[in-house]
Amino acid sequence: MKAIGARLPRYEGAGHVTGQTLFVDDIRLPQGNLWAKALRSPHHSARITSFDASKAASLPGVHAIITHADVPRNVFGHLAFLGVPADEPLLAVDEVRYLGQPIAAVAADSEEAAQAAVDAIEVEYEEREPLFDMRKAFDPDAPKAHHWGNWLPYFGGELENAGPDRRRIRKGDLEWAFEKADTIVKGVYRPAAIEHAPLETQVALAVPEPSGRMVVYSCTQAMHFSAGHVAAHLGVPLNGVKLVSSAVGGGFGGKVDSSSDTIAAVLALKTERPVKWRWTREEEFLCSGTRAAWHIEVADAVTKDGWILGRKTLTLHDAGAYLRHSSYATTKHTFHCAGAYTIPNVSFLAFAVFTNRVPSTAMRGFGVTSTSFLAEMQVNRIAKVLDLDPYEVRLKNANRIGDTMPNTVVLKDPSTVPVVQAIAEHAGIELAPEYKAMTWEPRTGAVLPEWLVEQQAKGGQD
Amino acid sequence: MKITVNGAEHELASPPLTSLLNALRDELNVTGPKVGCQGGNCGTCTVLVDGEPRRSCLLPLAMVDGAEVTTIEGLGTPKRMHPMQAAFHFYYGSQCGFCAPGMITASVALLERNPNPTRKQIQNALGGHICRCTGYVKIIDAVEAVARGESFDGAELTRSRGGEATPKGASA
Repeated sequence: MKAIGARLPRYEGAGHVTGQTLFVDDIRLPQGNLWAKALRSPHHSARITSFDASKAASLPGVHAIITHADVPRNVFGHLAFLGVPADEPLLAVDEVRYLGQPIAAVAADSEEAAQAAVDAIEVEYEEREPLFDMRKAFDPDAPKAHHWGNWLPYFGGELENAGPDRRRIRKGDLEWAFEKADTIVKGVYRPAAIEHAPLETQVALAVPEPSGRMVVYSCTQAMHFSAGHVAAHLGVPLNGVKLVSSAVGGGFGGKVDSSSDTIAAVLALKTERPVKWRWTREEEFLCSGTRAAWHIEVADAVTKDGWILGRKTLTLHDAGAYLRHSSYATTKHTFHCAGAYTIPNVSFLAFAVFTNRVPSTAMRGFGVTSTSFLAEMQVNRIAKVLDLDPYEVRLKNANRIGDTMPNTVVLKDPSTVPVVQAIAEHAGIELAPEYKAMTWEPRTGAVLPEWLVEQQAKGGQD
Repeated sequence: MKITVNGAEHELASPPLTSLLNALRDELNVTGPKVGCQGGNCGTCTVLVDGEPRRSCLLPLAMVDGAEVTTIEGLGTPKRMHPMQAAFHFYYGSQCGFCAPGMITASVALLERNPNPTRKQIQNALGGHICRCTGYVKIIDAVEAVARGESFDGAELTRSRGGEATPKGASA
C-alpha cells in the first residue's frame, strides 16, 4: 500500500509540462493529411429545399464533398447497443433540427480551402418555427421537434409496442404521506444547459489503411463508444476500425459523443487519404453537446419536526434535437431524486423532451447533478419553512445502512451522515449532541419516530 | 524570414502574414504551443518572443523577423525540467495538459520581471490564460513555490510509481 497517503507524480505530468504530450492535433503523418470543414445548419429548424455543391467541388484544393448519400449507414443511435432505436443522421437528409447540425463535409488541401468550399455550397432552406421551451412541448399546437413526437416515446420494450413514454419510480404510499404531513414544501428548479468548453476543441485524424481498416486518432473520452459509432457509420464490423486513444485536452463529458471521429472517417474513406477535422472555438460553443437543461417541480410532505415523509417530482429533461444518451440520463436522474436522503414514499416522473437545441450530453454526473441540486435546495427550504437547522434536517433524513433507495438498491455504506458531520465541523457549526453522535448504522427502536413505525407496519413497497 | 526557435535558427518559407503559431506547428513541427481559440482569448499558444510572453496565434511572422522565440519545449525536458515545469508537475498544476504550455511560459516571464510576486500579481499575470480543469489554485501554488525558491529533483518527479517526491528547500 505504498500509494495510499503518498504524493504520487501524475502519470502523464512530465509530458504535459514539457510540451511533449501528443494531442490529436499534434500528430504529424509522413504523408500529410487533408483538412475537413463542415457545412452546418444556419437555422434551428428548417426543411432543406435545394442543395448544390457543384461550384464548391470545382474549387482548387478540394478532394471530396460528402453528404448523407456518401455515408454507408447514415442513421445511427448512440445507445443502439442497448437496443434503443436510432434517430440521428450523421449528415442531415432533408431537414435540419438544430443550429449547427452538419449537412455536408469537405476534405481539402488546407483548412482555408475546405472552408472556401463549404462557403460555396448553395443550399436553400424553408425555415420552420423552432421549439426551445420544454414546457411548451406538450401543447397541442407546439412546433414538432422530432419525428417521434416532442418527447421520447420509449423507455424499454419494442418501439412499435412502446413501453412507457416516461420514466416513473414509485415507492411506498404517497397519498398516506401527504395526508400525514404537517406541511407541504414545494420547489421549482431549472438548472440551465452548460457548455463544457474544453480548451482542446473536438478533433480527429482518420487514416485509411491499405487493408481497408480505418484508423482514427481520437480525443474521445469513450473509446469503445466511438469505435462502435465509426464502424456503424462506415458499415463495417468492429474489427474494421482501430481507434487510437490520444491525450484528451479537457472533456468533462463533452467528448463522450462521437462528434468528429465519424465524419472524418467517412471523408477518409471517400478520399483514401488521411483527414483531420479540427473544430473551431465557435463550433465548440455552438455545435457541441451541452449539459442538458432541466425543469423540475417538487412537492415534499414533511412533519413539523423535519422528517420528509414523501416526495413527488415531475422532471422535464431537455434532450435537444436528437436522443443520444438522454434516455439514460433521464433514467439516472429519476433514480436519484431523493438525493442522499431516505424518503419512504415517493413518486418520481420524468420525460426526455425534444427541442430544437443542440443535443445534450454527458457532463460530470450525467443527470444526477440536477437531483443533488433539487434535494439540497429542498432540505434548505424545509429547514427555512420550519425554522429548523438545515444540518439537522439533513442528518435526520440521511441515508443509513440498510435503507432502500427508490430504485430498490439497498444501501451498504451510505456516507451522508459522516459527510454532513464533517461539513458542519469544517464550517464551524456546533451540532446538537444527538446529531454529533449520530452514525450511519440503521435507525433502531428508541429513535424511530411514530410515523416510521406506522409506515413499517404497513409493509414495504407497493 | 528568419527566427530562432529554442536556440535553433530557421529560415521560414511561410508567407509573412502566417501566424507564428501556425508557422511553429505546421512548418517547424514545434507542437508545444496549442491551438485553443485562434483568437487571442485562451492563452495556450503563448510563447516567449525575446523573453516577452506573446500570443503566437495573433502574431504575424512579419512582426517576429529576427526574433528569438522560446516555446514550452525550449524550457526543459522531462529529465531536465525548468523549475517552473517541475513545480507545475509537483503541485499538479497541469491536469489535461492543454493549457500548460501557455501557463508555464507566461509564469516564467512573470518571474523574470518580478521575482517575488504576490498571489494577486500571479493571478493578474495569468488572467488571460484559461484552464478548464484545475480551478487555478494549484497553478498559482506552483508559481509561488518557484518564487519561494523551491526546487525539485526531475528524475524523482518523473517516476510514475512508488515513493513520495519532496521539494528541496521547501519550508515545512
